[in-house]
Amino acid sequence: MADELVMPRLSDTMERGTIARWVVKEGDAFQNGDVLAEIETDKALMELSAYDDGVLLKILVPDGAEAELGAPIAVTGEAGEEVPAEMLAAAPAAAPTEAATPAGDGPAAAAAVSAANATAASEVRASPIARKLASENGIDLRVLAGKGSGPEGRIVKIDVEKLIGKVGAEGIAPQTAAPKGPTPAPAKPVPAALADETRIEKPSSMLKAIAQRMGESNGPIPHFYVESQIDMEKALELRKDLNTALEGEVKISVTDMIIRASALALLEHPEVHRSWVAEGLAYHSHANVGVAVALDEGLIVPVIRHADDKSLVDIAKASQDLAERARAGRLLQDEIEGGTFTVSNLGMFGVTRFMAIINPPEPAILAVGATVDTPVVRDGEVVVRPIMTVTLSCDHRATSGAGGAALLQSFKKRLEQPVLLLA
Amino acid sequence: MTYREALRRALDEELARDPNVFLMGEEIGRFEGSYKVTAGLWAKYGGKRVRETPISEEGFVGAGVGAAMIGLRPVVEIMTINFIVPAMDMVVNHAAKVRSMFGGKVGVPMVIRTPGGAGAQLTAQHSQSLEAWFAHVPGLKVVAPSNPWDAYGMLKTAIRDDDPVLFVENLVLYNLTGEVPEEGTDITVPFGLANVVREGTDLTIIAHSYTVRRALNIADRFLQDGISVEVIDLRSLRPLDIDTCIASVKKTTRALVAEEGWATFGIGAEIAARLHRACFDELDAPVERVGGAEAPMPYAKNLELAALAQEDKIGAAARRLLADCGLVDA
Repeated sequence: MADELVMPRLSDTMERGTIARWVVKEGDAFQNGDVLAEIETDKALMELSAYDDGVLLKILVPDGAEAELGAPIAVTGEAGEEVPAEMLAAAPAAAPTEAATPAGDGPAAAAAVSAANATAASEVRASPIARKLASENGIDLRVLAGKGSGPEGRIVKIDVEKLIGKVGAEGIAPQTAAPKGPTPAPAKPVPAALADETRIEKPSSMLKAIAQRMGESNGPIPHFYVESQIDMEKALELRKDLNTALEGEVKISVTDMIIRASALALLEHPEVHRSWVAEGLAYHSHANVGVAVALDEGLIVPVIRHADDKSLVDIAKASQDLAERARAGRLLQDEIEGGTFTVSNLGMFGVTRFMAIINPPEPAILAVGATVDTPVVRDGEVVVRPIMTVTLSCDHRATSGAGGAALLQSFKKRLEQPVLLLA
Repeated sequence: MTYREALRRALDEELARDPNVFLMGEEIGRFEGSYKVTAGLWAKYGGKRVRETPISEEGFVGAGVGAAMIGLRPVVEIMTINFIVPAMDMVVNHAAKVRSMFGGKVGVPMVIRTPGGAGAQLTAQHSQSLEAWFAHVPGLKVVAPSNPWDAYGMLKTAIRDDDPVLFVENLVLYNLTGEVPEEGTDITVPFGLANVVREGTDLTIIAHSYTVRRALNIADRFLQDGISVEVIDLRSLRPLDIDTCIASVKKTTRALVAEEGWATFGIGAEIAARLHRACFDELDAPVERVGGAEAPMPYAKNLELAALAQEDKIGAAARRLLADCGLVDA
């Protein structure tokens, strides 16, 4: 007799799973204990085993697609048996979840992140106005299926308004409007200025779970910080030599060297040089490095585009020009947009170290302290070296502590062996 | 000025304005009416214009129909709406139908004034709100003002109307005070226009007569929850101003209709049906209805309070509706 196979609960926090791969193919027989499929949950890749002997009659949720907990994913039965029509009808609306493009597979078409899951749209209980609002705002109500604030989880207007971020403006009392479950921090969409240089990739279930947890803990952007002390002796020597050789054509600053080192390090670490945006993970193909310029009132961050393609001289010229025009209030809008990273240097104020706040949707920011003559141990001897402390703030949704550390290591290497800046 | 005084002034002014206007009813002359609405009018206009009748509702409503058919403008008082039952044949089969059955050549420009309402332990036969029965009947107009201004202006409109009007008052409203138009302005209030008496954004409460006062108090209470309630006073049940209700519900997306009578087949049933049709895509929850308990009114005070569509009962229904929409805790 034909039977539905449903998405099982494979972890405590799992709400839906992705079929990583069907091990048994349609029409194949299986025995009790055989692995039928591999399922990716928010935590890990798990195996779905058969509890009985039978034949896999029909796959309802294909490889790479998602299904809600308890939603039918396949039909099993006996060899040659017809699949009942109502079971086919129960198939999710072909859950059009795009299979993730393998990393490094070139620029993939920007896949629309569909919130589709295994619930058919007609099965979603929602008030008429909730449906209307959702449709006007391009929201797929299946993301809220069964989780609305109305009776038996009916989706009502306020649930949709929360999704489109309207509630605050209408001033509904917070204690009465409190969401029933945690709401993940909304991710900003990729800015138009970046779209053509950016490859969108769907985050894995694990990454999504981490992003949600971190966002709940320290939202909307969960920051973490890694710090390093950099011996600037060689960098300062190189700077001096370069400025002598350039005979006043342009004056290269320490910040320019930091921009160049950051840009090269970012390109080496795509796992950090990517933004958590509404559509997925946005990988940046060039380092557009913003430099925070303090103004009398506030600050502004002009962006040096494609800093990875620019020499120290080019960077110095660009940053000098931008900084002058920033202070004069003469920057163009597109000169303060499209950054993929920011450098904030407070060294000139005598600050030795600080932690900066990420400028979304950038994934990270580097806080640079003053270079201070410091006693350090070299080859067993205490010597005095010019030491600069830098602190990297990263978006924990887009990257991890190890990623941040690796980026910082790359950066440090380039300043301690500054000939690499000329490469 | 009280609601009672506003009615009296309208009667007085219409008696003075049009010699065809006359009053009929039980004990409305020397005794000045059971609720003193006609006080002083018998003394001022005499027994011919303020006519006392036997205790025979069918008889004097029938006399009113006849007088109206020959061109007079009778204003008939029925002591309470409960006593209209013996006169149903005159109201429904004659007053409502004459114009249509005589090819439009003869009408019945009669007003029946009568209070409904409950709350004074008058028990099952004297505590009813029967206006829905009459709002059901083509050929009748049914109005139920909730404040002195509308009572004054709508009674004048009723007397000047060429067709029969059931003018529903409420025992609890008689002592309500409020503004009325200045003397000498001859302001009337037209039928078929509901009044948005409180603007709001989260929920529309639709009511008529005394229930409007309850709705306003509920709206005040919800302010503490940060909930903004719009209150619509229907004023006129037939003709019914559904457009004002629709516009409001399209804005608030939630509606509750409250009435003192029974909800089953009631005013709320009619309005809910029309709102569901007109606002289907704008609703966040089904339109809710609240009325009195579906039982003959008990005598015992505690049971009477439990049976009435009190503020607490309407407020609780509103809260459930808002909770179903995620706006308040249940």
